[in-house]
Amino acid sequence: MSEPNSKAKSSAALVQSRRNALRSYLGAYGFMAPAGVLVIIFFLIPVAIVLYLSVTNLASSNFTSDLARMEFIGLKNYETLLNDQFARKIFFNTIFYVLVTLSIFNVSLALVVSLLTTHIDRSAGFVFRALWILPRITSPVVYILIWKRMMAEAPFGILNQFNELLGQPTYNYVSTNPWVFVVVVNGFIGVSFGMIIFTSAIESIPKDLLNASLVDGSSRMQRIRFVILPLIRWPLLFVVTYQTLSLLTSFEEILLLTDGGPGLYRTEVWSLTAFHRALSNYFGNAQWGYGSAFAVLLVLIGVVLAVIYMRVFRFDELIAEPRVEAL
Amino acid sequence: MKSRLCLTLLVMFVMSLLAGAAIAQDSVGITVRCKASPPEEDWRCNSFAVVEEQVEADLGIDIDLNLIQDNAGWGDYKNEFVLASEAGEAPDIILSGHEDIGAWAPAGFIIPLDDVIPLHSEFDDIVPSLWDSHGYAGQIWGIPQDAEARPIFYSKLLLRDLGWSEEDIESLPDRVVAGEWTFADMLATAEAAIDEGVVDAGNGWWHRPSNGPDFLYYYYGHGGEVLNMEGNLVVDRDALVATYELLGGAVSSGVLRSDVIGLDWNEVWHPTVAQADTVLFAAGGTWNWPNWSINYVADKGGDEFLFENIGLTLIPAMATGNAITLTHPLTYMISSGSENPDVALALIAAITTPEHNNKHAIDSFHLGILNAQLESEAYANNRLLSSAHYMLDHTTALPNHPGWNAWSNAYFLGIQAVETGEADAAGAADIAIAQMQNELGDGITVR
Repeated sequence: MSEPNSKAKSSAALVQSRRNALRSYLGAYGFMAPAGVLVIIFFLIPVAIVLYLSVTNLASSNFTSDLARMEFIGLKNYETLLNDQFARKIFFNTIFYVLVTLSIFNVSLALVVSLLTTHIDRSAGFVFRALWILPRITSPVVYILIWKRMMAEAPFGILNQFNELLGQPTYNYVSTNPWVFVVVVNGFIGVSFGMIIFTSAIESIPKDLLNASLVDGSSRMQRIRFVILPLIRWPLLFVVTYQTLSLLTSFEEILLLTDGGPGLYRTEVWSLTAFHRALSNYFGNAQWGYGSAFAVLLVLIGVVLAVIYMRVFRFDELIAEPRVEAL
Repeated sequence: MKSRLCLTLLVMFVMSLLAGAAIAQDSVGITVRCKASPPEEDWRCNSFAVVEEQVEADLGIDIDLNLIQDNAGWGDYKNEFVLASEAGEAPDIILSGHEDIGAWAPAGFIIPLDDVIPLHSEFDDIVPSLWDSHGYAGQIWGIPQDAEARPIFYSKLLLRDLGWSEEDIESLPDRVVAGEWTFADMLATAEAAIDEGVVDAGNGWWHRPSNGPDFLYYYYGHGGEVLNMEGNLVVDRDALVATYELLGGAVSSGVLRSDVIGLDWNEVWHPTVAQADTVLFAAGGTWNWPNWSINYVADKGGDEFLFENIGLTLIPAMATGNAITLTHPLTYMISSGSENPDVALALIAAITTPEHNNKHAIDSFHLGILNAQLESEAYANNRLLSSAHYMLDHTTALPNHPGWNAWSNAYFLGIQAVETGEADAAGAADIAIAQMQNELGDGITVR
């Protein structure tokens, strides 16, 4: 009698255990569901649609929103793209833009601003950080108009008016150094994101660690090098990853500032080309299908980079349960 | 007593509902979409409001007219119509460049008008040559709204500084028409002005700072063609090379700035040219004049200042030996989604009169589209219009073809290449042709 009873008990326990596991899974998936639905609606479905558009010859002259009526042309758009004499240039422009803006502004300058503003009077630090956030919260159109007005050639530009006052030669700054301005204008926006992340990370370092380093005789620079930087490693990697992907897809400031010029695509980046092809053309007849091919390749590059970053930077460790709690 | 009052109120309520329904039933909704630079081009849409009552009386209907007019960029404006058409929300009447017929007719977004044009006698008076740019696949798809010329504006002020007599200056347009003063002469004059310090290097001649129809006349001026007899796209390599040689040569001789493409229209180009004291020759459009008068030199006397200091002439003769210009008529097209195309056309017919079109022509310095208009007192006595109307006899136009944007974008790439020094003329032609062939495939013939 006791054997069946114990079997029944263990069976009931097994069922209960499975129920608990299921409940736990359902709970986890339930909490993830809203985000999952958003990813499906706003990423996976659009990507699938753009992927389909890229294998059609959809243009203004045969435009339809009915997927079944679009003319399938296979990989023709990709063939045209790969044969485009400027595709390689635009690709390397994009790499250059992302690397330079990321390394100089979005990470390095953001880190410097964070370190400086956390090492001065707290309210003064707050004021300086607030100033650095201004480019981020200003409408892109207004922000670029301000830059254009500052940099315009004589007698219209503010800088050139100073040059004239000082008897110096005047310049068409943006045309002469387009990349400098594309990087600086975007970099000033990008600094704020890293600055907020780094500042909060620095502020959350336990004060006794920082004080201990001072008691041990470290200089400020040594404290930054050997205490602060190792402790904000994860935020640093996160900013690098996030800002790389963000810069890859950003183009509105370049569109407004140089529109990819001057000359032959000198500051044209991949996402701007996709926009030019699919959505913006002086004479109309936008090439939706061809532009989508550019967009699909950008999505692929983004996904590949995201996976590489997650592997190289070991993001699984970042989000793993702390070992002390696992015990 | 109370119930009688309630009954009366109920009857009144029902009657008002019925009356409202009756009005709604007879009301015909017409939406018109126009792009216009305010205030000088506002008649493009506002004219419809003026004739609304007249058309209502003629047709015995009530029109619920909805005018949507702004100055959006052309690319956005055209995309808006394409997307609205597909969503079933297109305006009944869309005003746009005639070249859009080449994309919107095959897409089925607009309707052909051959059968209904004869129903309105107003259209009989339209200058016949204007219909040429409204055709596609053997049919007419739009009604001309305006015409214009794209001239060279010359600074009288700077020519005087260069030592030109008043007679030389005033006779310039005639000498250009006669082919006595050519594009080469223009460049030589600009070089002389730079050498003598009248203008700075790069300010001898400015063309437009962004892609647009104007650039095509340099190619036409060298004998180039865009369409062959069968209506297919072609590119003439020799004409292309010659065009790029002209533009690249102007940069290397210091007449034209290498960074003129990319200058901001409103921040730099218009304010500089309108002052007449910096740039000797500028390639623009007739409609620039009222814009300058209102927005850039109003404090100096507006029109009077411009008449005193700026003149306009045809584009001087290039290789073909003929002075030319380019007309880019805007056209009213009727959406295939319109439920009342007959009413839409009646409204267009009502504003296609000398009286209404003159208002637009005079305010915005666009050229007339009707024969009677050209003879009307208001038009003939207008100093500006009378100084430019002859240009229509020397005009060219863009093609109506779905591949035109790919052609023109590639052509513009060559211009950018040669002006920034990234390629010589032959190299720029190679770039443009390779781009055309890659994007148009068999749809382009290189000659």
